[in-house]
Amino acid sequence: MSVFREFSKGIYEQNPVFKQALGLCPTLAVTNTVEGSLGMGVAATFVLLCSNLIISLIRKGVPPKIRIPIYIVVIATFVTIVDLAMAGFLPDLHKTLGIFVPLIVVNCMILGRAEAFAGKNSVGYSFVDGLGMGVGFTFALVLLGAIRELMGNGTLMGVPMLSQGFEPVLVMILPPGAFLTIGFVLAFFNWLENRKKA
Amino acid sequence: MKDIFKLGGLLLIITVVAATALAAIYNVTKPRIDAQKQLAIDNALTEALPNSPREAIEPVTRDGEVEYYLGYESMQKQDTVGFAYIARGAGYSSVVETMVGVDTTGKIIGMQVLSQQETPGLGTKIIEVKYGEKEPWFLVQFMGRPADEVKVDKDGGQIQSITGATITSRTVANSVVEGYKDLRQIVNN
Repeated sequence: MSVFREFSKGIYEQNPVFKQALGLCPTLAVTNTVEGSLGMGVAATFVLLCSNLIISLIRKGVPPKIRIPIYIVVIATFVTIVDLAMAGFLPDLHKTLGIFVPLIVVNCMILGRAEAFAGKNSVGYSFVDGLGMGVGFTFALVLLGAIRELMGNGTLMGVPMLSQGFEPVLVMILPPGAFLTIGFVLAFFNWLENRKKA
Repeated sequence: MKDIFKLGGLLLIITVVAATALAAIYNVTKPRIDAQKQLAIDNALTEALPNSPREAIEPVTRDGEVEYYLGYESMQKQDTVGFAYIARGAGYSSVVETMVGVDTTGKIIGMQVLSQQETPGLGTKIIEVKYGEKEPWFLVQFMGRPADEVKVDKDGGQIQSITGATITSRTVANSVVEGYKDLRQIVNN
């Protein structure tokens, strides 16, 4: 086990969105702007880091029978902290993300890492794992957000990128655009993978 | 049986620790969250009543609820120059709340959307500010018009509705009219 491998696997090899297809609900819902994507990515990364840390710290005292309720309580606590802090310090972002901040609790990527990694590994590795997965998740969200915002609104982070003559493809920032974009991006990554194998 | 107490007890300890931590965080963030809410209303008020300094705008309450806001010309609070009220209407996918300011003759002098969750790219254009401009173009159309008769073009009015978001556009216009009628009733009584 090397620290770098544990970190980098989350970004490409086991990317939560592109490779494991976990946490797709927020991925589809908030990626109509780069700003929303970035906010959701950072919030989820923070929760994942904290929950991985705590869960790996207490892993030896957690009876297997009630590990899931314990993990969920830990995760829900950090999500509520993020929700409160965001409402107090970044009210605009909090408004944009709306219900999807509290819904980080049920993001399967976070419970997935608790179950698959933090519950079995040391604090240090769990931290690195959480960081890698969080960065990978944020990268996936920002990539989708950039494609959708550019095509659907002609802007990136709210700044116009394309010439005045460009007619925005509105459907890209609507829910169908999320499904279309993730479909094409997943197909691209699968194609890349198959080409490497061949 | 013994297992239940052991596992239940452990869960209890964990939830108590979590609840304590959250209570502490809540106490720390509560004043900030309240301040942010007040700030949003303050910003909307200065937008709605541009002729009154912030200190010269005061809420008129009944039973502890704010009914509308009074705007005076200066801090001495002698002459009323306008009223502000919150217009609410059911839009396409949310309740659209707008702070509307009118002068004493009932002409709209300022508007700002307080909250909305309309369809991104369509209904959300009610708050779209074109690059390089300062005010949302949709709301600018309301300026100077009498608040009791604003209508979107599809209803025979002068407000150009947003393409693909007729319902949202109509909601804003109609809620302004409804809100103004309520305001008139309250003020006249």
